[in-house]
Amino acid sequence: MSGERGLLEGLFWRAGSLLVIVYALLPVAWIVALSLKPAANLNDKRFVPQRFSLEHYRAIFADAQFPAALWNSIGIAAISTLLAVLLATFAAYAIVRLRFRGRNLVLAAALSIAMFPPVAVIGPLFDLWRTLGLYDTWLGLILPYMTFTLPLAIWTLAAFFREIPWDLDQAARVDGATPLQAFRYVIVPLAAPGVFTAAILVFIFAWNDFLFAAALTSTNAARTVPAAIAFFTGSSRFELPTGSIAAASVVVTVPVTLVVLLFQRRIVAGLTAGAVKG
Amino acid sequence: MSRPRDPAEERLGWLLCTPAVLAMLLVTGYPILYAIWLSLFRYDLRFPDQREFAGLANYASVLTSGVWWQALGNTLIITVGSVAIELVLGMLLALVMRRALFLRRTVRASVLVPYAIITVVAALAWKFAFDPVTGFVNPWLGLEQPWLTQRWSAFLVIILTEVWKTTPFMALLLLAGLTLVPQDLLDAARVDGANAWQRFFRVTLPLMRNAVLVALLFRTLDAFRIFDTVFVQTRGAQGTETVSVVGYHTLVTRLNLGLGSAVSVLIFLCVLAIAALFVRGLGASFAAEDRS
Amino acid sequence: MIKALAAALAVLPLVGCDGQAPGAPVLNWYVFDEPSGAFAAAARRCAESSNGAYRVALKPLPADADQQREQLVRRLAAGDDDIDIIGMDVIWTPEFAAAGWILPWPEAQSQTARGGRIAASLASASYDGRLWAAPFTTNAQLLWYRTDRVPRPPRTWDEMIDMAEALGDNGTIQAQGERYEGLTVFFVSLLASAGGSVLSADDEAPALPDGPTREALRILHRLATSPASDPALEGAREDQTRLAFESGDSSFMLNYTYVWPSARANAPEVARHMGWARWPAVDADHPSRVTIGGINLGVGAFSEHPILALAAAACIAGADNQRLAAERGGLPPTIAALYDEPQVRQTFPFADLLRDTLRDAVQRPQTPLYNDVSLAISRTLHPLSGIEPAQDVPRLRDAIGRALRSEGLL
Repeated sequence: MSGERGLLEGLFWRAGSLLVIVYALLPVAWIVALSLKPAANLNDKRFVPQRFSLEHYRAIFADAQFPAALWNSIGIAAISTLLAVLLATFAAYAIVRLRFRGRNLVLAAALSIAMFPPVAVIGPLFDLWRTLGLYDTWLGLILPYMTFTLPLAIWTLAAFFREIPWDLDQAARVDGATPLQAFRYVIVPLAAPGVFTAAILVFIFAWNDFLFAAALTSTNAARTVPAAIAFFTGSSRFELPTGSIAAASVVVTVPVTLVVLLFQRRIVAGLTAGAVKG
Repeated sequence: MSRPRDPAEERLGWLLCTPAVLAMLLVTGYPILYAIWLSLFRYDLRFPDQREFAGLANYASVLTSGVWWQALGNTLIITVGSVAIELVLGMLLALVMRRALFLRRTVRASVLVPYAIITVVAALAWKFAFDPVTGFVNPWLGLEQPWLTQRWSAFLVIILTEVWKTTPFMALLLLAGLTLVPQDLLDAARVDGANAWQRFFRVTLPLMRNAVLVALLFRTLDAFRIFDTVFVQTRGAQGTETVSVVGYHTLVTRLNLGLGSAVSVLIFLCVLAIAALFVRGLGASFAAEDRS
Repeated sequence: MIKALAAALAVLPLVGCDGQAPGAPVLNWYVFDEPSGAFAAAARRCAESSNGAYRVALKPLPADADQQREQLVRRLAAGDDDIDIIGMDVIWTPEFAAAGWILPWPEAQSQTARGGRIAASLASASYDGRLWAAPFTTNAQLLWYRTDRVPRPPRTWDEMIDMAEALGDNGTIQAQGERYEGLTVFFVSLLASAGGSVLSADDEAPALPDGPTREALRILHRLATSPASDPALEGAREDQTRLAFESGDSSFMLNYTYVWPSARANAPEVARHMGWARWPAVDADHPSRVTIGGINLGVGAFSEHPILALAAAACIAGADNQRLAAERGGLPPTIAALYDEPQVRQTFPFADLLRDTLRDAVQRPQTPLYNDVSLAISRTLHPLSGIEPAQDVPRLRDAIGRALRSEGLL
């Protein structure tokens, strides 16, 4: 009796697992399939391509637009990540390790910005950027990305830093290490995973953003991939560049998906750290 | 644990926090104040010479407009619809991730894929899937439905996209809550003859209350700001415009900074109201946990 | 603006001296991404014929006119000096001119830019009594139908819907019913064909005479609720209707001339039975009047090389390059005489029909607030199946009135 129930239950969870995998990967498989269909077959309404073709990939890389957007996306997201994590590391260290008035104020400010609707600032930012000459520049996107990811980074890092046995540093110093050595060989390895996790989360946010990119850029000079895809210039005035959109989508999805899969456990830890322990 | 405050430590603390705080103030604090200021003017970038003080006229214009109230209604439909489905689905997902040993790593990894995908890409993928000319959904379901050209089916597609994209995040937050439920408590309940249903609703769920509320707060505020999916899938047509899309159109397409800023400020107030509602709803237990 | 131009004129000799230098100024031409390379070839030709005075770099804009405008307008509002030549959709002229984003054409260059142009194209490039851009390409919708199913093309909308309904499953009419600029185009064409106009003669107030407006709305509603319309009508733009027609299940389509080369390439079976005719009229006694489209070349007001940009724009919009754009890119020319040339007639076997259509073409409302007015129209009329002519005429008038006062959300 109980064996049968156990078997049934096992089957139930197995089926559940498979369902989850299908659920998560179906649209991805679809966009990959779409990107591999030759232009003539784009509208065959089939999931699996009848014939395979790389023409859309060739097309997006032959045009100047997509490579430029890719470069902008990578550069802008990387610089924003670097800055946000740097500033957040300072702040999180101070919040966890130092006692000063206004500590909770910083955390609360970060939390309220996490809830802030970005659309509320695009108008003023546009007006400011066009006077300051930041419109359609890398810096014009880096500043808002850095700011809007700071809360995420601060909370994630603070959660990680709380878990670090900081006293090891003192112990190392007692054992004769210089402060720098203690920092380099004890604290850095302990803090690195947290910093790295925060960096991945920040990078994904900046990589994903569409609203700021759509409002604050307009050309290959700073337009990032999400905005470029959404505003893709079709091959004629009235044609929809479905194939190019699909191919570009795959190109930007694959690397980030790989990173996420590789660092799956870190990301899970990071995403839940702020919310549960905070 | 309590040490006396050390002025040097105090200074260092502030020194380390200043860059972050300054950035947050400059890029959000100042612009929102500027938005409030702009919202009091008649200010259209196409007619820059006609800038003049207008008092609350922009707010009157927005609040008496059917467009605003419809957009607010739409935003609430999408928010409530997607968050409710995500809660149920996310809970199931979390249970599968916790209980299933089969393909465990693959399951946990694949769940992160929707989270990592660019929202615009996800929205386009689903848009093409439901497209009557390109997509596979109609043949699979044996329908000839132009999904995104009718209001309610368009909402369905938008909500589906949102749910697909963000359920994993919800599930991970809930999973973290699930791990806080002690296994021996569940075993004890099982010994006492509680079935799976009872164990979930009587033991697991009450213990997860805070995790659920936090997850709901995060997702509700996030869903209320929905922009990318709607912009890509319908551009707000078929009566699916959300408040963020209205704000974007007024500010960026029409360059009407005065009117658009009034919309921005109103969206900001809505978010504040939702947050306040949740914080009150979370009540003492949240506050207590926060302090610990 | 005028002062800027005067200053630029004063600098002209200097530019001339400098012209031969290898570092000739690069003029940026913002225009939609033209796939055949006709624009690129035109740019190259003009740069060569300038003897090194300038070079022209193409800056591609999105396919969709709304999105092109969105991008340009933001840059122009930011005072971007990178924009020298603009491939302007015909509807932007008053807005860009009034905002001071483009330069008016001085009399000398206007003469060249005006020469031999179709009157409606010239009107689309003019505002406030001046010329603001050189008419380059034009466009208007024709009626496309299946000669194997329809013995003779319908003359009126009602006749067409009747014919389509009688044909049953294959009778489908393809038209653009999504809430976007194309819907405004549809409405303006119907209204003009019914003898009405959106704005009063001075373009200051809504006109929308009762009879014609109600008739236009009645036809829109009839189409949307007829079994002969595509179920996807309310989400259809030009390209969805082209694809649907190429699949062979439709018998009528209202669309631009690009569908002809496309059908020949993608659906030769359909192309073999593809006929063309004048856009259907509202009543049989008055020929239809169709909204004019196309691209005019304007010069950015913040350009650092306005004189060179004017020269380049005039050159690109010249007869040679119009011929090139027609033959390679399938873009109808604005110079009337070109429609008589054998090469052009080969590209456009319907050349006479197209020229006649263009001669009677109607302008969309020529107001700096056109974008708002258009939004007001497409918003009020969408979804087409929900139109109630009696109530919607005053609603439309009210919405357009608010748009003209720059009030309210749209």
